[in-house]
Amino acid sequence: MKQLAIGFLSLIAIALPLRAEQPQDIILSHALQARQDNADFLGFDSHRGEQFFKSQHNGGDWSCASCHTDNPAVAGLHTVTKKEIEPMAPSVNPARFTNISKVEKWFKRNCKDVLSRECTAQEKGDVITYLMSLNR
Amino acid sequence: MSSIKVWDLPTRFFHCLLVLSFAGAFLTAESEHNRDLHVLFGYTVLGLIVFRLLWGFIGSRYARFSNFVCSPKGVVLYLCQLIKNQAAHSVGHNPAGGVVIVLLLLLGIASGLSGWAVYEDIGTDSFTEWHELISNAMLALVCIHITGVVVSSYLQGENLIAAMITGKKPGEANQAIANNASSLAWLVLVMVIGLWFWAWPDAKDLNWLLHTIVWWQ
Repeated sequence: MKQLAIGFLSLIAIALPLRAEQPQDIILSHALQARQDNADFLGFDSHRGEQFFKSQHNGGDWSCASCHTDNPAVAGLHTVTKKEIEPMAPSVNPARFTNISKVEKWFKRNCKDVLSRECTAQEKGDVITYLMSLNR
Repeated sequence: MSSIKVWDLPTRFFHCLLVLSFAGAFLTAESEHNRDLHVLFGYTVLGLIVFRLLWGFIGSRYARFSNFVCSPKGVVLYLCQLIKNQAAHSVGHNPAGGVVIVLLLLLGIASGLSGWAVYEDIGTDSFTEWHELISNAMLALVCIHITGVVVSSYLQGENLIAAMITGKKPGEANQAIANNASSLAWLVLVMVIGLWFWAWPDAKDLNWLLHTIVWWQ
């Protein structure tokens, strides 16, 4: 059964590049990675994502919310440059999570700033799930 | 042969400030904490190169493009002679070095402009990719430049690195430049340091710069 599930997910993953990327596709690719990282992977959770988004990690002075604010459905403000950052929630900003290389690039850069390490697929999937759960 | 002045002071100050700004921009590129500093260093690179382009037309003898930019044919000829150890000695830049310098200046401009486009959200996201690509190409070229200087120093039996600091090289008295243009050089230095004082982000970011340097090591 497990093999069947992995096989099915892999088939979808192979078929993904054939159409424009959607947030669901990006979540799926993180799910595949999370399952590879951890055999006990149980899926993503928007509450865990919300908590991750809003808290500081490892004594760092920033959280995701430092720039993206506690409400990702509104525009954020870069704490250093004071420049506006477009909303993260796809419900108000449909351009979000439609380009996986862009998503990965920014996770890589920003996770280093917030956690002093790269994020795991589990953490990234939780955060995207949280952002997708937000309504207008 | 005696020790003569070859590099005027503005050229040497430009070189030193460009090294500092370019290195600073690279060290502050990885973190959003240092975004202000990174942008400041990038703008400094742009300003310095604009100055150098002007100085390439009105500067002293060996600082002028007309002294060290030659045709592609001339560059190939020089490289062929270099392999056969028959290359003529250049008082200023040799033809191959001249190519690298022109490319460095052009890449510096492209890096600065693409970085500005990224910062101001002009155009598409692809500017980010271009900015990284151009800046990495410039870093690679810096490595080629340093290699060329070290190899040339060895082949010619003269210290070209020291020459870029003191401005002096071995040569005939009639090959020396007449004017060091010191006043202009100090003016440029004061302007750059003034810019940094005026635009430097607050002390918190200075801590982050130190943090970044420690993290890099």
